[in-house]
Amino acid sequence: MNEGRKMQLKVLKKTSQELKFEVEGEGHTFWNLLESVLLEDDKVEFASYNVPHPLISNIIVSIRTKEGKKPEEALQEAVDKALQRGEELNEAFIRALEELNK
Amino acid sequence: MDLRILEKNENSMRFVVTGISTPLANTLRRIILAEVPCMAIDDVIMIENSSVLHDEILALRLGLIPLKTDLDGYNLPEECTCNSELGCNLCRVVLTLDVEAVDETRTVYSEDLVSEDPNIVPVSSKIPIVKLAPGQKVRLEAYAKLGRGVAHAKWQPVSACAYRYVPTVEIDKDVCDNCGDCVDVCPVGVLEKTEDGVKVVNEFECTLCEDCVDACKKNPAAIKVSGNREAFVFYIESTGALPVERIITEALEIYKSKFKEFANQIAVIRNGSEKTD
Ligand code: SF4
Ligand code: SF4
Ligand SMILES: [Zn+2]
Repeated sequence: MNEGRKMQLKVLKKTSQELKFEVEGEGHTFWNLLESVLLEDDKVEFASYNVPHPLISNIIVSIRTKEGKKPEEALQEAVDKALQRGEELNEAFIRALEELNK
Repeated sequence: MDLRILEKNENSMRFVVTGISTPLANTLRRIILAEVPCMAIDDVIMIENSSVLHDEILALRLGLIPLKTDLDGYNLPEECTCNSELGCNLCRVVLTLDVEAVDETRTVYSEDLVSEDPNIVPVSSKIPIVKLAPGQKVRLEAYAKLGRGVAHAKWQPVSACAYRYVPTVEIDKDVCDNCGDCVDVCPVGVLEKTEDGVKVVNEFECTLCEDCVDACKKNPAAIKVSGNREAFVFYIESTGALPVERIITEALEIYKSKFKEFANQIAVIRNGSEKTD
């Protein structure tokens, strides 16, 4: 899979509560995590990604939300959460390293 | 979120991290395996090869030699401005090999590779490449480049990267008859038989194999093992290409850039008009 390539995104369906897009450049490494973070949100009714062919890196992502939240808002929040957790992990790791080198 | 380093050696590290989800642990593992770059020989120009190994096999063996990597000094070929197939001195290092067995059999080792950059050398000098009989000769030029494990395993900076749940082992004192079957069967010595019952002495080493549960004749078993799904023991072993801590910080950097890049794509969705299929 061409993971790590530049991202290219194509919207396939977009309504106030449903979003489906095709995106290139990332695989399970990215989408499995983002899917799980999306599903933590009560307002997200459904979130899933699908790899149509394991050798081609285009992935189909579908999100359906409950009333009161747009899918792209849920997506943005999930990305922010994932970024924040990555940052926390980074800090925790650097702290642990310093502790070790003391 | 809490992270504690249990053990750090020259090339390996073991740490426990609590308060993260399995998908996050797995993403970290996958980035370390497939996306943290390191150096490996990629193109080989054969000038002379009269050894018993075919050119291709020799080139493959060279590719698999782990090289000490300088991540800050070099670019990934696809990100380098030179756009040249063989690369420039910002995206490749030339190593030469020129060995002849004159009147005795001679093994060619990784230490025979002469690098133009003293920082980019094989991690070990004693990796055998090929054995030459008297009169045989190998002369070649090898181009080492940065790459990612996703393209070829030779670009994996780690020889091992795995995580497991932090284990808990419990023995129900009221049911256990201290027969010791579980003690004998445990492959990592978690349990110990004492006068007053079986004791858990080495809980952390438990691999959650459940052999002890199967061995226990009580029904249900008097011993119970379980994994904490929010706490992970990571074990990472570097090939020597990069220091382990650098591999982890680099992986977290890649993690960040992935999500940053996708965040930019969300704007594309936001600005797009409604669409139904
Ligand atoms: S699960 Fe396996 S490793 Fe853990 S205590 Fe039982 S036998 Fe030992
Ligand atoms: S096998 Fe079962 S009964 Fe025997 S010592 Fe172990 S836990 Fe107790
Ligand atoms: Zn270049």
